[in-house]
Amino acid sequence: MAHDRVHLNVGGKHFVTSRTTLANAGRGSMLAAVIDENWQLVPDIASNELFIDRNPAYFTVLLDLLRTGELHIPPGMLEKPLYREAEYYGILDHVKAARKGPLNGNRLDCVASISGRATGDGTAIRASPDGGCCVAHGSMVHVYDWLMEEKTPLTLDYVNVNDVGFLSPNRVVICTGERENGAGGMASFNTKTGKIEHKFQVVHDGESKNFTAAALASNDIHVYASCRGRSYEYGVGTWDQITGRQVTFLYEGPGRPLGDACKMQWLPRTNLLLVANLFPSSDHCFITLLDSRTKGKVWSWTDVALRGTADEKIVMDTVAMEECSTVCVVNQFDNLGFIDMRTNNQGVRWSHRYQPSKISEAEERCYSKLACSGSQLFSSKNDSVYVFCSPDWDASKGVQTARLRRKEGGAISDISVGGDRLFVLHNEEDVFDVWETPGPSQIVDIY
Amino acid sequence: MNQAKKKNFKIEPFKHKVEMDPKYAEKTWKILEDAIHEIYNHNASGLSFEELYRNAYNMVLHKYGEKLYSGVVTTMTQHLREIARIVEAAQGGLFLEELDVKWREHNKSLQMIRDILMYMDRTFVNNFNKTPVHELGLNLWRDHIVRSPKIRDRLLRTLLDLVHRERTGEVINRGLMRNITKMLVELGTNVYQEDFERPFLDAASDFYRLESQQLIETSDCPDYLRKAEKRLNEEIERVAHYLDSKSEAKITQVVEREVIGNRMKLLVEMENSGLISMLIDDKYDDLGRMYSLFRRISTGLQTMRELMTAHLRETGRQLVTDPERLKDPVEFVQRLLDEKDKYDRIIQQSFNNDKMFQNALNSSFEYFINLNIRSPEFISLFVDDKLRKGLKGVSEEDVELVLDKVMMLFRYLQEKDVFEKYYKQHLAKRLLSGRTVSDDAERSLIVKLKTECGYQFTSKLEGMFTDMKTSRDTMQGFNATSAGTEGNEGPTLTVQVLTTGSWPTQSGARCNMPTEILAMCDKFKMYYLSTHTGRRLTWQTNMGTADLKATFGDGNKHELNVSTYQMCILYLFNQADRLTYKEIEQATDIPALDLKRSLQSLACVKGKNVLRKEPMSKDISEDDVFVFNDKFSSKFYKVKISTVVAQKESEPEKQETRQKVEEDRKPQIEAAIVRIMKSRRLLDHNNIISEVTKQLQARFMPNPAVIKKRIESLIEREFLERDRVDRKLYRYLA
Repeated sequence: MAHDRVHLNVGGKHFVTSRTTLANAGRGSMLAAVIDENWQLVPDIASNELFIDRNPAYFTVLLDLLRTGELHIPPGMLEKPLYREAEYYGILDHVKAARKGPLNGNRLDCVASISGRATGDGTAIRASPDGGCCVAHGSMVHVYDWLMEEKTPLTLDYVNVNDVGFLSPNRVVICTGERENGAGGMASFNTKTGKIEHKFQVVHDGESKNFTAAALASNDIHVYASCRGRSYEYGVGTWDQITGRQVTFLYEGPGRPLGDACKMQWLPRTNLLLVANLFPSSDHCFITLLDSRTKGKVWSWTDVALRGTADEKIVMDTVAMEECSTVCVVNQFDNLGFIDMRTNNQGVRWSHRYQPSKISEAEERCYSKLACSGSQLFSSKNDSVYVFCSPDWDASKGVQTARLRRKEGGAISDISVGGDRLFVLHNEEDVFDVWETPGPSQIVDIY
Repeated sequence: MNQAKKKNFKIEPFKHKVEMDPKYAEKTWKILEDAIHEIYNHNASGLSFEELYRNAYNMVLHKYGEKLYSGVVTTMTQHLREIARIVEAAQGGLFLEELDVKWREHNKSLQMIRDILMYMDRTFVNNFNKTPVHELGLNLWRDHIVRSPKIRDRLLRTLLDLVHRERTGEVINRGLMRNITKMLVELGTNVYQEDFERPFLDAASDFYRLESQQLIETSDCPDYLRKAEKRLNEEIERVAHYLDSKSEAKITQVVEREVIGNRMKLLVEMENSGLISMLIDDKYDDLGRMYSLFRRISTGLQTMRELMTAHLRETGRQLVTDPERLKDPVEFVQRLLDEKDKYDRIIQQSFNNDKMFQNALNSSFEYFINLNIRSPEFISLFVDDKLRKGLKGVSEEDVELVLDKVMMLFRYLQEKDVFEKYYKQHLAKRLLSGRTVSDDAERSLIVKLKTECGYQFTSKLEGMFTDMKTSRDTMQGFNATSAGTEGNEGPTLTVQVLTTGSWPTQSGARCNMPTEILAMCDKFKMYYLSTHTGRRLTWQTNMGTADLKATFGDGNKHELNVSTYQMCILYLFNQADRLTYKEIEQATDIPALDLKRSLQSLACVKGKNVLRKEPMSKDISEDDVFVFNDKFSSKFYKVKISTVVAQKESEPEKQETRQKVEEDRKPQIEAAIVRIMKSRRLLDHNNIISEVTKQLQARFMPNPAVIKKRIESLIEREFLERDRVDRKLYRYLA
C-alpha cells in the first residue's frame, strides 16, 4: 500500500516506514502526531519527505523498536541519550517496557551500584513507582530518578528522618521528629524542584499541634502516618494528597496502639491499612489491620501473651502479602514467621530455616528486613537478600528460590521493592544496589 | 590567599558563562504564538508540525516551560474571548448552531495545540502539577464561553425553550441539542448538572405540575393514565436522543412525582373512572397501566392495594350480609366464587401476579366470608348441590376445578369445624339417598380436605364411605339367606348399617312401623346380630326411604317413592280412607315436626298430593283431616314424593347445630390446653390463649372467654392450678 508509506528525513538520513509502524507509538506520542490528519501532511514537494531534526543513529534504534518491539542497542551507544531521544518522540514507555521486565525474584540482575557521598548510616531506602528511589541519611534525603541520576537532595533542617515515601515519581513525603519551634512533622516535596509542597498538619480540637511522624503509607488519594503528639495525641492521621489537608485522625486506644507504629503498609486489594508497632519503639509487638473506610480494627496480632518464654522471639520487621493472605514477620534471629490474615487470634508459624546464630555484641548488627512483590518474599540477612516463592494461598509453604549477593557493600540495612526494581541499601558504606529483571525482548550485545 | 587569587585569575576566562541569545525565548514563543493564531484561523496547512514541536521542546528544555505555559493560556484566552463575541452576536436560532460550530472548531484547534505541546504536557506539566493542555482548553472554554455572563443564561434559556417546544409538539433539531449537551458533559459532569440538568429538571417539574393540574380537571382516570404513560415514554426517549443517560432516572422521577405521585389519591379515587370503577368493569388494560405507573412511586402500589382492599371488603360485606342473597345458598357461594375469579383474573392480567395484591385479596375474602356465620353451612350446601346434580355430564377436570375453588373458599373459613358438621350431614343425606353423582368426586374432595386439615378432620367422613360399602356386603349376605326361606312375598328391605359417631344420627327418631315392615326388620336384626355379636342396632327411621305400589281410582297404578315416615302414614290409609291429624299422630308416633312435614308433602304439593286435606291450606294444623285422594293421577308411573325439607336449616336446627359445635369444641380446647401445659409446665394466661389459638385456628377461632372457662374447668378437675404468688400464672399438675 503506497498510501501507507511514510518518508522521513531524520537529521539528513532517509527513512521509509509505514503509518502502521508509527501508529504503534500510540496517539500520545510525537511520532503519531506527525502523521495525524489534523496536520494536513504537506511533505516537502521536492523530496516528498517529512523532516525531523534529530540524530538519525538513535532514531534507527527506536524505529526498530516500533517495528519489532525489541530494543537493540548497538555497541558503543550510550543509553542516556537514547532515553532522551525516546522522550522526545514520546515513546520512553516503550523503551522502558522493552528494557525491563516485571520484577521476578528468580531472574534478577544487579544493574547498578550507586555510591553516595556520606559514609554509611543510611536509614532507609524507598523505591518510587517509576523505578527511581530515595535514600534517607540522617537529616537528608537523596532522590534518584529511574536513570539513577541524583536529584536535588532534600535537606530537612537537621531533623532526623523517620520514614520516606513516594506519592508519585515527582513527590515524596518525609516523616521526621518534631521540634519545638513547630518544625518537623511531615511534609511532601517536589523532587524536580526540591521544594516543599505541603506541610501536613495534625489538628486536635481545632488546634494545630506539633507531632512526630514515625511511619507512613499511601494509596492513590490519601497519605497515612503514625503520629505522636506532645500531649499523648497518639494515633494515625489521614491526609488528602492533593490539598494536603488532614481528613481524619484515628486516636489509639487500649489494645490498639497506633502512634508508635514504625511500619505501615497500604493493602490495595482489601483497602486495609497495616499498622505495626515493633521493637524497639514499643515493648510489645502489635500488628493491626484497619479498615480504611470505617477506621475499625479488622484484624490484629500481638505477642503480649507470649513474652518471657525461653527462646523469646521478638518481631523486628513485618510485611503483609495480600495475595497469600499472610502477614510475614521476622525476628531477631532472622527467623521468618507467618500469620494467617483471614482469621483473628492466629499464632505465628515460625519457619526454622535459620538457626539462632551467635551474635557478636561487638559489631553493630543489621536485623533482617522484609519486602514482597506479589507472592514473592524478599528477606535480607547480613550481606544477602533471600527470595522465597510461595504458592498463592500460603506464604508459609514458601521455598527459598534465590539468593542475591554482591561482593562489595557488606551488611544490608534496608531493602525496598517498587517500579519493578529491588533496591538494597548497605550499612557500612553509602552504597545501594539496583536489581531488576531483564526485559523479555532486550538483546544484549556481546561483541 | 595568593594561590587562590592566582587560581581565580587563571580560571576566570573559562568561567565565562555561555549566554544564550537573550531573545531566544521571545523569538521561539513568537513562532508558537503565531502558529496558535493560525490554527485558530484555520490556516494550519502551512505549518510544520515538526518545527513547532521542536520549538516547544526546546523552550521546555531551556527552562522556559513556565513562559510557554502561561503564553498558551493567554493566547487561548484571547481567542476564546473573540469566539465568545461571535457567539454572543449570533441572532436567535443561529445562536446554538454558532456555538456548536465554534465548539467543534475549538476542539480541533485544541487537539493540534496539544500535539505541539506534547512534550510540555509530559514533563513540565507533570512535574509542576499544572493542568494538562487539553483539560486547560476545556476549562478555558467553560469559563470564557459557556459560563460567560452573556452566554450562560441565553444558552440555558435556549435549551429549555427547545425542550419546552418539543414537549408542546414542535419538531426541533435534536442533533444540535445532542451536540450541545454532549459539550456540557465533556466540560465536566458538574457543568452539565449545574448549567443544564438542574434547571431542566426544575422546568420539567413546573411544566408537569401545570399540565397534570389541567389534565386532572378535564380527563377521566384511564385517559389521564394513558397521557401520563405517554409523557413518561417521551421523556425517556428524549434522554436517549439528546441528553446524558444519567438524566433518565432523574427526569422520570420528576414526571413520576408531578404527574403520578402528587395526583395519586385524586386518580384512584376519581368518581366513575377511578380504580373502583376499573375493578368493577374489568378494565384490564387500564388497571395494568395504573399498576405499572404506580409501581414507580414508593407508596403507589400500597395506595392501590388499600383502596382495592377497602372496596373488596365493602362489596364482600354487602354480599354476605344481603338478606336477599341468603335465600339461595348455592347462588350465594357461586357469587363468592365469581367474585374471586374476577379478582384473580385482574391480578393475573393487570397486576403482574403481584404477591402483595394476592395477599390483599385473600385477607379481604377471609375478612368478609367470616362476617356471615352461615358461610360454612352455605359452602357445604354448595358442594352438596354440585355433587348431587351440578356435576352431571361435566368432565373430570372441570369437577376438579370446581372442587379446587370450593377448597379455596374453605381455606378462608375460620370455623372449619362448623363446615365439617354440615358437610357430614349433607354427605350422610347424599350417601343414604344414593343421590351422589360421582364417587370419585366425593373422594377427591375428601382427599383435598385431608391435605388441608389433616387426617383427623376426615376420618369420620371416610368412615361413612366404609359403612356404605360394608352395608352393601351385609345386604348381599342377608338377601342370600332370606332367598332360601320360602314364602317371601312381603316387602324387600335394604338396610344400611351406620357406625354411631361417624354419622350425624339423631337419637330421638322413632315411629311405629307397620307390622309387615317390623317383621322384616326383626329378621334382619337377627341375621345381623348372629354375625356381629355384641352390637346394638337402632333404627334411624328419620333417614330411610320406601317405594310403595299404590292403586288409585280407575285402577291407576303408581309407584310412590316416599320417606319412611310417609310410608308409615300411607300404610294407615290401607285401612281407612279418612283420618284426622290426631289419629295419625297417635298411630304412627312420629315426632310432631316431622309428621307435619311429611303430611305437608303428601297433601299440599300440587301434582303429588296422594292425600287430600280438609280444609285445603298450605299449612298443617292439628285439627286437619286427611282423605285418600282417589283421583290422584300422574304422567309418570313412578312418583317421587320428596319431603318438604328445608334445604337450609331452620332457626332452631341452626341453634342446635351451633350448640353441638360449641359442645364439640370444648374437649378440643381442653386437649390443646393440656398439651401446651404439659410441655410448658408454667405459663401465664395471655400466652395460653395465644398458644391455644395458634394450635386450633386451622379448625376454628376459639373464643378467649371460652378458653378461660375451659381453663377454669381444668383447674376444678385438678389438671392445672393457679400459682400461689402470681395469680395469672398456671401450673400443670401431672
